[in-house]
Amino acid sequence: MEKVFIALAAALAVGLSAIATAWAQSKIGAAGAGTLAEKPELSGTIIIMVAIPETMVILGFVVAVSILNM
Amino acid sequence: MIARMVKVEIIGPNEQLLDTLALLRDLGVFQIEPDITCFVTADEEEKIRSLNLDEKTVAERIFFEDLKARIDELTACLPQVEVRESYLDPGSVLDSVAATLQQHGVTCREWCRKREALQKELAELSGNAVFLGALEPLLNRMDPKSGLEFIGVTIKDPAALEELMRMLTRLMQGKFELLTVKAEDGTLIGLITLEKGLAEKVRRTLGDQHVPELSFPAALADLPFPEKIRTLRARIAEVNSEIAAIDRDLTQFALRWGAIYQGVRRWLAERLALHTNMAYLHQTGMCFFIHGWTPAAEVARLRDGLDKRFGGAVIVEEKQILEQDLDLVPVTLRNPAYFRPFELFARLLPLPRYASLDPTPFIAICFPLFFGMILGDAGYGLILLVLALVLAQVYKKRNMVRDAAKILFISACYTIVFGIFYGEFFGELGARLLGMEGAFIVERRLAIIPMLYFALSVGMAHVTLGLMLGFVTALKRKTGREALYKLVSIFVMGCLVVLCLSMTDILPRLLTRPMTLALIILIPLLFFAGGVLAPLELLKTIGNVVSYARIMAIGLASVLLARVANRFAGMTGNIVVGVLLAVVFHTVNIVLGVFSPTIHALRLHYVEFYSKFVVPGGRKFEPMHKEYPVTNHPESGGEMPRR
Repeated sequence: MEKVFIALAAALAVGLSAIATAWAQSKIGAAGAGTLAEKPELSGTIIIMVAIPETMVILGFVVAVSILNM
Repeated sequence: MIARMVKVEIIGPNEQLLDTLALLRDLGVFQIEPDITCFVTADEEEKIRSLNLDEKTVAERIFFEDLKARIDELTACLPQVEVRESYLDPGSVLDSVAATLQQHGVTCREWCRKREALQKELAELSGNAVFLGALEPLLNRMDPKSGLEFIGVTIKDPAALEELMRMLTRLMQGKFELLTVKAEDGTLIGLITLEKGLAEKVRRTLGDQHVPELSFPAALADLPFPEKIRTLRARIAEVNSEIAAIDRDLTQFALRWGAIYQGVRRWLAERLALHTNMAYLHQTGMCFFIHGWTPAAEVARLRDGLDKRFGGAVIVEEKQILEQDLDLVPVTLRNPAYFRPFELFARLLPLPRYASLDPTPFIAICFPLFFGMILGDAGYGLILLVLALVLAQVYKKRNMVRDAAKILFISACYTIVFGIFYGEFFGELGARLLGMEGAFIVERRLAIIPMLYFALSVGMAHVTLGLMLGFVTALKRKTGREALYKLVSIFVMGCLVVLCLSMTDILPRLLTRPMTLALIILIPLLFFAGGVLAPLELLKTIGNVVSYARIMAIGLASVLLARVANRFAGMTGNIVVGVLLAVVFHTVNIVLGVFSPTIHALRLHYVEFYSKFVVPGGRKFEPMHKEYPVTNHPESGGEMPRR
């Protein structure tokens, strides 16, 4: 039973953070695409903006790995 | 690195001003500074004034602007044709061109007006031709001498057709015929055949019911239907041939005169650009002053060029760059050949300020390393290597693609090296077929925790390097407190790492106490240097280090995808289908393998690394330059036209 909870906890850690990242990126991506249409010179800034929420899922992944190796 | 700039003042006699500007433009190494506050002292400011244009120069400028506008107007009428290079010196033929332009303008405008009218007529006739062309097969079935009347209508949809049928039946008790056909553009066309006496009544009812009757130009209105079609086609052919004749005339004109007008227009644009720059210059009663910036490496060329042209009459004086000028100094990047392609990444963000560091060399070293660490597959690396060579060969003349190909080449080399370290060649295919097991340093698929520690160690090293560079930048910018903050941050990060390692028994437990004590001493210092938000910044820095875990995470995804590709191919049981499936899966993985490591390696630089030392907001160095490439004709060399 304990193994099930560990696996569930790891799945939640990575799954919820992935949903959060996806939601944030969808909003930023849409706004970024609009910005790029008007100001293509901001492409570097937009890449950063879109990539920033990815840290959440990476952290979620690290936490999941830590849970599984406890 | 950021090229060293020199603050320069150019002084010369007033009458040499335009020639000096022309030479500076040709040399392409000097940027005029409109804001002279950093060039002249308060005492000097009283003695000089903004350049006042004399009457001759103003008249000349008005003449140039008018001539350029008239050439633009003429060019707008002409077709785009490849013209030869004009060998006439534009400066010496301005008067003749101005006179000829008057006459040519009238002729070309008349041609254009006529062509426009013909095209309008053609569009109208073509619209009618579509409908009449559709009706022609129906009319062929009718006897023109039967004394019957024909009405053409356009029908919007099949429901409207039924409604029309009901209406006509009610009006004429079935004494009519309605034939329909689809026109080329998909519209449904109807032809109503009826007795002559009833035509007017039907037309009125059609108008009341908003059923559009086919309308024709006035010239065709009174003609019978078959005659209308013949006349229409004849007129369309006539209009087409008239348009073709005008086009021929315009093309011949463009081929004959285009080169001269283009040459003169270029010359005028260059000259007017010089006049625009004059607004930023200053003078006394006798001489002019041009203030600006030039790269230190170009000062000798600038001085030699002016000496050679004016024999010492125009001099270049180097001025000291003061601390308050630092934010004004324009920035240009000069890097060795290996680093230069990576300026592409630096250009995606605002330029760094003059007294900071250029991140290009660091991104040139670390980007391919991270890319290789993430993708790490010798097979994919080889494919990317070939792709980079092909791109560099095909797009030799497109600088941006060539730079991207060079970056891809270097990254592919690192991918191969890390592929050998990880023992990966199209996933585990190398291990199975090529016996690469011996080359294993670490198998990424299984060594998740060691790879995580490795990625975090890389992150720690990279972020610490960023903090060190931030310390150097702060010293260069003479912001002592910030330098102290960066230095303390490095020590705090170091202490935290040692503390964590000693608490997890990787390092001796003995180190726990000294590290805790060191942190107790360093944290107040951190508050002093970084303010109340310093702990928050420290947490951000720790988050930055953890963010490097993506090197392991994305790499793991890549290796698992390659494994899936091989497994799927093996499961088919058919060698041809298996190979095809493997190719498709690996192709998808390579595409992902190019984009994903690029975006993530860039992000690690832009967010985690740059934020530690790059000071954005630098002004781009934009020297005066020739708008058009130098042609073979003898250049006027800055001489004013003889007018």
